[in-house]
Amino acid sequence: MKLKNIFIAFALVLFALTSCSEFLEREPDTILSDDQVFGDEVMIKSVLSNFYGRITWGQHIDDSYSYTILDEASRSESGPDTRQGFEDNRWRVYDYTLMRNLNQFLKGVRETDVLDADTQKMLEGEARFIRAWLYFNMARGMGGMPIIGDEVFEYSPGMDITTLQYPRSTEAEIYNYIISECEAIKNFLPENPSINAARATKWAALMLKARAAVYAGSIANYNNKMPNPIKTPGGEVGIDANLAQGYYQTALSAAEEVINSGKYELQLNKPDDRGRNFYEALSVKENNKEVIWARDYKYPGQTNGFTQINIPASHAEDIDRAYAGPILNLVEDFEYINDRDGEIKIRDNEGNYIFYDRAEDAFANKDPRLWGTVIYPGTIFKGSPVVLQAGQKYFENGEWHVRTSTPGSTDENDILITSINGPNQSNDQYVNKSGFFFRKFLDETPSASTRGRRSEMWFPRFRFAEAVMIASEAAFELGQADKALTYLNMVRERAGIQPLTSMTFDDIVQERRVEFAFEDHRYWDLKRWRIADKVWNGIQDDPNAQQWGLFPYLVNDPGNPNHGKWVFDKIKIHMSPFPRDFQMRNYYNFIDQGWINNNPKLVKNPYQ
Amino acid sequence: MIQYKYFVIILLSVMMFTACGLDNYDAPQSELHGKITYNGQTLGLRGTGEAVQLQLYQDGYELRDNIPVYVGQDGTFSAKLFDGEYKLVTRNQNGPWVNSRDTTVIKLNGTTTVDVQVTPYFTISGANISLNGSQLNASFTVNQVVQTANIEYVMLLVSKTNFVDDVSYIGREDFRNVEAGALNLSMDLSSNQQVASAKALFGRVGVRTVGADQAIYSDVVRLK
Repeated sequence: MKLKNIFIAFALVLFALTSCSEFLEREPDTILSDDQVFGDEVMIKSVLSNFYGRITWGQHIDDSYSYTILDEASRSESGPDTRQGFEDNRWRVYDYTLMRNLNQFLKGVRETDVLDADTQKMLEGEARFIRAWLYFNMARGMGGMPIIGDEVFEYSPGMDITTLQYPRSTEAEIYNYIISECEAIKNFLPENPSINAARATKWAALMLKARAAVYAGSIANYNNKMPNPIKTPGGEVGIDANLAQGYYQTALSAAEEVINSGKYELQLNKPDDRGRNFYEALSVKENNKEVIWARDYKYPGQTNGFTQINIPASHAEDIDRAYAGPILNLVEDFEYINDRDGEIKIRDNEGNYIFYDRAEDAFANKDPRLWGTVIYPGTIFKGSPVVLQAGQKYFENGEWHVRTSTPGSTDENDILITSINGPNQSNDQYVNKSGFFFRKFLDETPSASTRGRRSEMWFPRFRFAEAVMIASEAAFELGQADKALTYLNMVRERAGIQPLTSMTFDDIVQERRVEFAFEDHRYWDLKRWRIADKVWNGIQDDPNAQQWGLFPYLVNDPGNPNHGKWVFDKIKIHMSPFPRDFQMRNYYNFIDQGWINNNPKLVKNPYQ
Repeated sequence: MIQYKYFVIILLSVMMFTACGLDNYDAPQSELHGKITYNGQTLGLRGTGEAVQLQLYQDGYELRDNIPVYVGQDGTFSAKLFDGEYKLVTRNQNGPWVNSRDTTVIKLNGTTTVDVQVTPYFTISGANISLNGSQLNASFTVNQVVQTANIEYVMLLVSKTNFVDDVSYIGREDFRNVEAGALNLSMDLSSNQQVASAKALFGRVGVRTVGADQAIYSDVVRLK
């Protein structure tokens, strides 16, 4: 019995000594402390890469709908899109969560002792570059926003929260801040291009500086030329007109620094095939000399669905296809090599059809960049032609009649009626509705359009041609006409179209429209030039505001001299029945009432 | 025991009948009606797309989100509200009038009517719109109110519903380089198939001022 008691006592003591396994004091295994993160170089890098994944805003290839909002493309999927105007929060960016994370990162990187000095500088430069990019994306939507510097805000109960509330900066101040940040960090960043242009370099910082400066310059310039300039009393929106020259000067010198760097060029690897050359300059990553900074994608894990959902039906590798297609408005804005009026000639002066032997002949001698941007009827994609045929035409009783079928059907003589690609005017899925497909950013890699893999296509944010175009625009606005013309002609000559002997402001608008189609420039360009409300004027059947398509028909009328030839009809795209209507209030996003409730120091934008 | 059971039943039914009512408001019953006027004359506006708005603010609450009040194309508006004191202002830079954000204080108690006085850049008077075959004829007078204002364009509009404005129409023609005064304008609709097939037609004229975000319109006239 005694022995038993001793045994129990012994067991209890044993329990008492071992039972505390610190069950409640475990280190959390899903949350890492600052010391853990900033004590390890690999961890620091992974935090940075997370930032790179959070900064794709505006129009981009992982959001195909974003291309159909403006005058570049139209949706082909499901029923008509009743869009007419633009939302008050269209492409609005307000990410002070990311801002705080970036400032936490900056603090950690500056204090850590596991990095060598060069890496430390580089990481600081990248984080500040991303922060400047974030400010830029906020500024172009909303104007001046609170600038918080390197502050990492902490809240403890009972503190005075008004110290956390910063008022909006002026629009000039936020652009000045972006410009000065880019200038401050450019030498922290590497000079050599990064792999797939995925990480920031000195040249990316200079590009951001140039773009911010030219945006600020054009706002200062063109806003004050409006009959009723858009501004707030505190300057949160609107920049003083006499600052324009300084901004243009900054833009010109930053752009020229990139142009003269020798690291990038207007890529011209295939002078004999300029269309292909333009496609490769933008859409092929290997040995690319053009792109300065891009959102890169990589299989597995980081892929995008642009190719998957937009590929022509005849080339599709999975269920998805033909989500959207470029529109005639864009196609006609591309000039001919020797003719500045890019209209596709479908009828002669008497209103009779013009007959083409092959569908692609209607686009002969167009700006080669059209080939590199848009798949037009009959052109080659991945080695085989993309047939776009809305139907057949035949002549009877003095007029032309149309024969159509379900996509992909042939008639009794085995001649195609309506192509599997379309276009047609139905509400069916997976059939084109505009007459064109995307080529820019459409991936030629096998299985890039399958759901299981998707595409590694990148999305360039800055490229060399933009440096040249910014230099041209800034020089033009500064009255340096010769320099402006030289730069503009650099871009035109690489493209393969006639150089100009003199230039106007409209030439800049035109050149940027075609060179940078689908690259998230159009909306912001028209906004900063204050012409968006003129171009997208909301008038029905307006050549610019309405979305137009081009339907190719095969003449199938044995005995007719034009049997076997092609004709075209210009149509109003039924998928987008309303003209684009950009109103004065769309020049600046609205400031959300919820933000004002949290921070009463924010003031509203005009028209709000 | 039986008594106890009754007690529980009575208690439960008392709770059922009294539980609600403490935290629920009745829906607002009071109505605010009004119109936008200049010299007592109601203005014709764009009524679609929430284009012209007024804003109602109420003091005394922590958050100050405004209540948007949408103005119809005949210049009238209405809102259902709780009784109380409100401040009514025009939306910043919105409307075919001189931007003025003077506050109208409204003490709402039951149904209340209010006129919002504005100074339009132009007014349209004496509009006479008629359809002659496939030609639309309009005679009207554009009166200059603000001496510094300039006309961007004058538009003739036809629609197949009685909502007619610069966005909702089936036929439209813009006339630029027009001066204020008496105008006689016409629009040829012979090639417009929508007009030919429309069962009903409504016409309207509008004047857009340079720098204003909205046009001012005449009354809507039924043509067919």
